[in-house]
Amino acid sequence: MARQTKRRMFLQGAAGFSLAIPFLPSLAPRDAAAQSTSVKRFVAFGTEHGGVWQSNMYPDASTLTQTSSYAGHQIRRGALVPQIEGDMAVLSPVLRAASHRLTPALAQKLNVLRGFDIPFDIGHNSGSYLGNYAANLAEGGVGHDMQDSPLASLDQVLAWSPSFYGDLGTILERSLVMGLSSMSYGWSNPSNQSGDIQRISPQESNLALFERIFVPPAENPEELRPPVVDRILEDYRRLRDGNRRLSSGDRQRLTEHLDRLDELERRLSVVVSCEDIESPTVASDSVDLENGGQQADIQYWQLMNDVIVAAFACDTCRIATGLLNEVTHFSDYPGGWHQEVAHQADYVTWSAPPVAHPQDILTESKQAFFEHVFLDLAAKLDAVADPHGQGTLLDGTLLQWSQESGVATHESIECPVVTAGSAGGYFQTGQYCDYRDENAPFREAEPGFVVNSHRGLIYNQWLGTVAQSMGLDPSEYETGGHGGYGQVAFGFGAYYPSTGPVVDAMGDPVPLITS
Amino acid sequence: MWTAPVAAVLASACVGNIGNEPEEAPPPQGTPTDFACDPTLVPETLPLRRLSQRQYRNTVVDLAAFAVPGERAAIRGELETTLDRIIDDQPIGEDKHYARLSRLDQSVQQNNVDVAYDVGAALGTAITTPPRLGTAVGPCATDGDPSNDDACLRDFILRFGERALRRPVTDEDLVFYSEPAGQSPHDPADYADVVTVLVNAPEFLYFVESGQPGEDDTAPLGAYELASRLSFHFWQTMPDEGLFAAARSGALLTEEGYARELDRVYADPRTRDALAEFFGQWLINSTLDSFQARVGVPAYDALLDGLTPTPTLREEMWTEVVDSALYHATDGTSSFADFMRSDRSFARTEDLASIYEVPPWDGESEPPRMSQPERAGFVTRAAVVATGTLQSRPIMKGTFLRKALLCDPIAAAPADAPTEVDFRPGMSTREVVAEMTESGSCATCHVSFINGLGFATENFDSFGRLRVEQPLFDFETGAPAGVASVETRAQPRVDGEDAPVTDAHELTDRILESDKPYACFSRQYYRFTFGRREQDAPDGCALEAVQDALRDGRPLGEVLRLVALQPQFRQRTFIED
Repeated sequence: MARQTKRRMFLQGAAGFSLAIPFLPSLAPRDAAAQSTSVKRFVAFGTEHGGVWQSNMYPDASTLTQTSSYAGHQIRRGALVPQIEGDMAVLSPVLRAASHRLTPALAQKLNVLRGFDIPFDIGHNSGSYLGNYAANLAEGGVGHDMQDSPLASLDQVLAWSPSFYGDLGTILERSLVMGLSSMSYGWSNPSNQSGDIQRISPQESNLALFERIFVPPAENPEELRPPVVDRILEDYRRLRDGNRRLSSGDRQRLTEHLDRLDELERRLSVVVSCEDIESPTVASDSVDLENGGQQADIQYWQLMNDVIVAAFACDTCRIATGLLNEVTHFSDYPGGWHQEVAHQADYVTWSAPPVAHPQDILTESKQAFFEHVFLDLAAKLDAVADPHGQGTLLDGTLLQWSQESGVATHESIECPVVTAGSAGGYFQTGQYCDYRDENAPFREAEPGFVVNSHRGLIYNQWLGTVAQSMGLDPSEYETGGHGGYGQVAFGFGAYYPSTGPVVDAMGDPVPLITS
Repeated sequence: MWTAPVAAVLASACVGNIGNEPEEAPPPQGTPTDFACDPTLVPETLPLRRLSQRQYRNTVVDLAAFAVPGERAAIRGELETTLDRIIDDQPIGEDKHYARLSRLDQSVQQNNVDVAYDVGAALGTAITTPPRLGTAVGPCATDGDPSNDDACLRDFILRFGERALRRPVTDEDLVFYSEPAGQSPHDPADYADVVTVLVNAPEFLYFVESGQPGEDDTAPLGAYELASRLSFHFWQTMPDEGLFAAARSGALLTEEGYARELDRVYADPRTRDALAEFFGQWLINSTLDSFQARVGVPAYDALLDGLTPTPTLREEMWTEVVDSALYHATDGTSSFADFMRSDRSFARTEDLASIYEVPPWDGESEPPRMSQPERAGFVTRAAVVATGTLQSRPIMKGTFLRKALLCDPIAAAPADAPTEVDFRPGMSTREVVAEMTESGSCATCHVSFINGLGFATENFDSFGRLRVEQPLFDFETGAPAGVASVETRAQPRVDGEDAPVTDAHELTDRILESDKPYACFSRQYYRFTFGRREQDAPDGCALEAVQDALRDGRPLGEVLRLVALQPQFRQRTFIED
């Protein structure tokens, strides 16, 4: 049963907020409060590299108690049941947390998904998390070729979809892109989903983000001067339409600016009361991410989490993304993270051994992220009743954590996905699902290199499922005649077939977790 | 006991092991260096280029100072909170780490537009507060006489609008920009609204260039447009009164007048800001670690050997590279080769100066000369050879020089690039790297592109200090564990040749004998100047001109100005899709 919180019952207390968020639903705008339960929310976290061994990432294989046939192979599922080890509740070495954080109830709102692949050599990238595989640094092969064919990331597809934002009446910000790096890519002309695909710059400051999603009520609203956006809009129109000495590219840029001005005008017209939400008391700028180690990383991202909760609670935004780059790697390891840990976590021996093996350091860092950021946000969302319907904010949300690579850094085979929330009942939660084909080996371990991986389902299928869970019809996001979301390419020759039941299944909702 | 830790960045296309079948990638190809000028080809003009965020901030403040002279600092302070909400441009480049230029970020995002609106409103409020209104708009705005308010507003738009729009205000503009103020009498908020609209105008946020009247697809820029190109390229801000005057008079459209203004602009101290951005973003070794992160690790502390790095040592090293570039770019005589070979220290702080064993530079007088003859200029500056880790990183050094200075791509290492090495006591970092990378498929890139460039400076340690041998330490205790020999003979293969070098001086010679650094400089400066990636054929004239000037040893300052003399700096095209 969802906790039915009362006014301010959790503030700065049990859920660990640094932000004063009064309890809702009275906080919600009245017109919104009267709506049905159709409001969905989406949060995507991405962590760079990957490379966590399967034995560290996933629950024990013995928990996979059910088997079924899908896409030409056997897939497996089991219940997520944390084991109590002292003060810790444990699903796996990464998916473990203090037992008061990873409660049995919260575990039942998680899913752990294994076996999603990006079937070509994508290497380092910032786009795989949400389907823009073109955003990669490959200097050859399919990945390099794909750089010329970017797609908007899925969060932006949602942000500009009328199916997702059916009513923008309270929405001040369509999506929050937070942190020090970005996995969000949008159109230069988003309202009609055209123009160049451009990386959306992240907002590093929690205070600046907060200002985007919360507008304090005016003391004397009757004295407010009307905005002059209409005049600015007209200024751009008169240049675009009145100056013959412009190229078509110039006019396109002016049109795109007009599109942004339209969105600004819409935002300025939003009147929303969030009662007495107070600004964050700690500025993320004050957190020493350079030298503060794991605790600083945790503090920074928990401050960001608070803004997400405030936005969702106030219903001024329903989408957030956060790419956690190497600056926030959640470790006190003093050496070079990229070279000494992330790139060497797959080897039996390694070149700069500190006290621990790089894989152990990596596992510890991912665990810290899971417990103190992912679960922190899940718990905070679960502490607030959904003003639009039954359950909590978390219940109406899909919170996803994916990683840049799969089991080996630079290679996106067996990419793990961890989720929280059911997206308003779309997902059946509390499950560990393994979609790999155990008869389809991909990379085989060899002396010194421990990675052993298998093909499973294509990651696009997961992203398409996310889109559907958020209320989108496949016609809104599918491209190129393929199911799912994201570009489709195959770059591993015979080691990853480009035809067959796995490819045919890409348009399906991911099995086991959907009806 | 651990005695020879190595940073094992493998940047090669080594053998993969997918399904136990080896895959061999071809060796990377170098970036072309042979530009050719074909004047019949027409370079493209970036569609409606926008101001960079740096340029935008500077322009807002300069415009405020124009409106209310003497209040620059105060108004900047009042706008600071709003200006801070601007999200910086994202440096863009072909590599994740190196040579990434923020001017290439031409995306227009919602934040740009939203914050610009807020900045406009804040600026409008700031310059029309009662104490400033009379200065910004004129006494007519505060004399209590409503009969002159329309004329007052008109005069304000003519003066302020010329600066904001960076062109003369037309009659149509006067009508348009008067409308936000409504009917007279006008109060401060009316003027503030006018300001808000003006500083959100397309001509304020973008470089709106129509060129001189004509019907061709290519047109010379107008005088005001030229003034903006010069000021924003070299100063990162709007034109000053001198440029506006030269635009009004038409002097900028004459060769003599243009050359005079170009020289004046380049000589202005504000040019240093733009050049610092260019050289900083091009030549900063961004993979240099913080020198603080490992303090407390026994082996690191032992390696420090009396050096006490300040928290800002890394940034000081980066600044030193920029200072060196600025010095040689502005002294009037130094060439690019002089910059590359410079034996002067620009270390401003004790800790960095101690690494060079020279006194700190005061930032104004002649920089001291290096005392160590092994210092060979750029490739031995601390920011290039230091790592901030427990060991030198010949692979990273080589990768940096190959990618940033020579503009050659290197493929990323595959997932299972082998790193296993049979470590033996007494091995130097170089020996470990060589064993790890110079056999099998890894050699394809490491031998041909990477290692040699890094090996030649292995006589500098991870703090950038000169060394004649490599001390080894037990990782866990920091106890001495012997020494390894240092070897700087290497085959850098700058152009693929096999001839060896013996040290950093010869490495520098080899680099400067190649076309690559000049072509690379030309490419990077082109991107910085025009805000887009170059196209070798249509942009060949400008690329070749800069490359030739660099190779001919012309003064760096002259080369940096040369781009402004190229036809495409002074014209625009209207090529339709």
